[in-house]
Amino acid sequence: MRDVKIALRNLTRQKKRTILLAAAIAFGIYIITMINGFTGSFIENVSENFSNMLAGHIFVEGVEKSETGRTLNIVRNDEELMLAIEETNTPWKYITKRSDLGGTLIFAGESMRQSITGANWEIEEYFKQRIILKEGTFEQMQEEKQGIILSEKVAEKLNVEIGDRLLVKCRTYTGQQNVGEFVLTAVLIDASMFGGTTAYANISYVNELLNLQPEEYMTLGIYLEDMDLIDQAAAALYANLQTKVSMFERQSDDDENPIIAMLEQQDEEEWEGLRFQLMTLNDIMKEVQQIVNVLNTAALIILLVLFGIIMVGVTNTFRMVLMERTKEIGTMRAVGMQRGIVRKLFLYEAFFISVIGVVSGLILAGLTMFILMQIYWGVETPAFMLMKNGYMTFILSPLQVLANFAIVSGLTLVAAFFPSNKAAKLQPADALRSTN
Amino acid sequence: MNCVINSGSLYETSSYFYIRKSEVRVKYYGLIESVVLSFLNNYFKESVLAIVELIDVKKVYPLGKTEVHAVKGVSFEICKGDFISIAGPSGSGKSTILNMIGCIDVPTEGSVLINGTETGGLSDKNITELRHEVLGFIFQSFNLIPVLNVYENVEFPLLLGKSDMSKKEKTDWIDMLIEEVGLSEWRNHKPNELSGGQRQRVAIARALATKPEIVLADEPTANLDSVTSEAIITLMKKINRDLGTTFIFSTHDPSIVEVADHIIKLRDGLITENYRHEDSRACGSDD
Repeated sequence: MRDVKIALRNLTRQKKRTILLAAAIAFGIYIITMINGFTGSFIENVSENFSNMLAGHIFVEGVEKSETGRTLNIVRNDEELMLAIEETNTPWKYITKRSDLGGTLIFAGESMRQSITGANWEIEEYFKQRIILKEGTFEQMQEEKQGIILSEKVAEKLNVEIGDRLLVKCRTYTGQQNVGEFVLTAVLIDASMFGGTTAYANISYVNELLNLQPEEYMTLGIYLEDMDLIDQAAAALYANLQTKVSMFERQSDDDENPIIAMLEQQDEEEWEGLRFQLMTLNDIMKEVQQIVNVLNTAALIILLVLFGIIMVGVTNTFRMVLMERTKEIGTMRAVGMQRGIVRKLFLYEAFFISVIGVVSGLILAGLTMFILMQIYWGVETPAFMLMKNGYMTFILSPLQVLANFAIVSGLTLVAAFFPSNKAAKLQPADALRSTN
Repeated sequence: MNCVINSGSLYETSSYFYIRKSEVRVKYYGLIESVVLSFLNNYFKESVLAIVELIDVKKVYPLGKTEVHAVKGVSFEICKGDFISIAGPSGSGKSTILNMIGCIDVPTEGSVLINGTETGGLSDKNITELRHEVLGFIFQSFNLIPVLNVYENVEFPLLLGKSDMSKKEKTDWIDMLIEEVGLSEWRNHKPNELSGGQRQRVAIARALATKPEIVLADEPTANLDSVTSEAIITLMKKINRDLGTTFIFSTHDPSIVEVADHIIKLRDGLITENYRHEDSRACGSDD
């Protein structure tokens, strides 16, 4: 307690120096905490945004090879799929069935290329909760078979209003030209980075345009109750599906992107008829995870470089402290202080500086995060995918904060150890003779 | 009863036990000898007469490529309860001798015995303990710890080792010391709020905190005016008389030198005079 008390009081002797050193540590912690907080939420936000955009966490697609050798995405009969989901007790929350149509929307001389997603609005509850409509309602969508929801930007560009009819030029799933007509039923506020290029329609009409049967669709999406169960549920479902239908092999090689590997199988392997492929959000997010890993590694390197510099500062500061207090150390040794206690005094001081620095840095980072989280950045920013509904979010793991604290304190103690050891080894007589 | 170890034998020499290392001739049994001496001297501690003994002590400091012979072979004994001045001009070796008695420096040659224990063979830990338990220090420039107030500075040595005193006993003892040196009103002041004389009083109280047998004062009055110097010496003398603490102080001030019972004068690292005042009690006498 005595040593702690003296060490704490020693910190007040050169207030400016203590503040500057703690500020340097605080800055380092601030930077690393911000990066950690950002990367922590990055993966979650991107996953969530992707799952909203793709309507699910696990996706099953039917792939059919036509007589001409062309591959087509289609699920003609999903009985086996639904049975497999049931048998594996997949913990699903929502199941979506979607068809996608690529086409050009034309209105009053204006045209725009759009990806039109056909969905069943009766079962797309989760998606309906996420989408913010500026005009119109989902009820109107369900009533109007040819209804379409455009993003605010597209509606503005095409100069269309609710109730206007738009032409669509597209191709059937076999590649033949087709033309249809949509009625603008609702306008949404861009809800994703693809908001400007994606429109939403009823699956029944999209299927008509694609020349698919009403019960057919392209992708089955499964929203799970918990995103952490994706891999486990996908593995069980895949194993069950293998016993029922022909499946493309799932790539488990960590070095390769599973989706690219699956697409390569389609091109390279000899196959005929209908096969299924199972993908997960994690497969898609693998690339994103790699970005996060790169960011985390960069953060760690920044931390190490920063603290390398801070360590030099700490060592120099404590060398100066040693010079200033040589006589005092001599006195303390003369009156009976053991070497170990002298060393401890220095190390306590260094530890307290690191605690002050870490706590200040964390408070500052917390405040900055809080302020940034209150700002609505909008959905049109390119960084939208990294945000949650236009708001920045930060997720910090307490373990990571503790690890950062341990690293900083450890490095500070290492930096202070050499001068403290030198102080402990001072001969009392030499120290007392010192002119400092 | 007095006894002497000679070639490993214990001889009775007087009415008290006094074991001198110089009389031990077993050259190659230094460690055993130290242990035995330490045991016997601690056992019969109350009867030990010479509390400090220097035997042919030399100290050489390296100074660049040359050497400075600060002490050139000094031998003397200091009796328990004495008030001793080591006097001499600047560079005569006063501080070096005090440092060696205080175990904060080691002789290049010769032996320093504290309470009969040869200090040269002790580890840093043991020597630090010895300093803490047996010795008190008063420095020329006070050397108080600036972040601690008067009470805490006096208390400081007590916190460094084991103590039999309860918390209350400690507080009472420190308060008594502070009162003794006349600083009760300044108890909570930091050193930078005190005058030079007051700081030296704090240093005296601090030196006495662990109830040491010996207090070493290196030019305690050098940084003080004459009136304050006189007051400090009077205070030291009073404590010496009241508590029986042995005071060894160095000075170059002739007016202070003569206050001591035992005077050792130095010049160029050698003793030029070593005498006791006629009116002072004889070494070893009870009165």
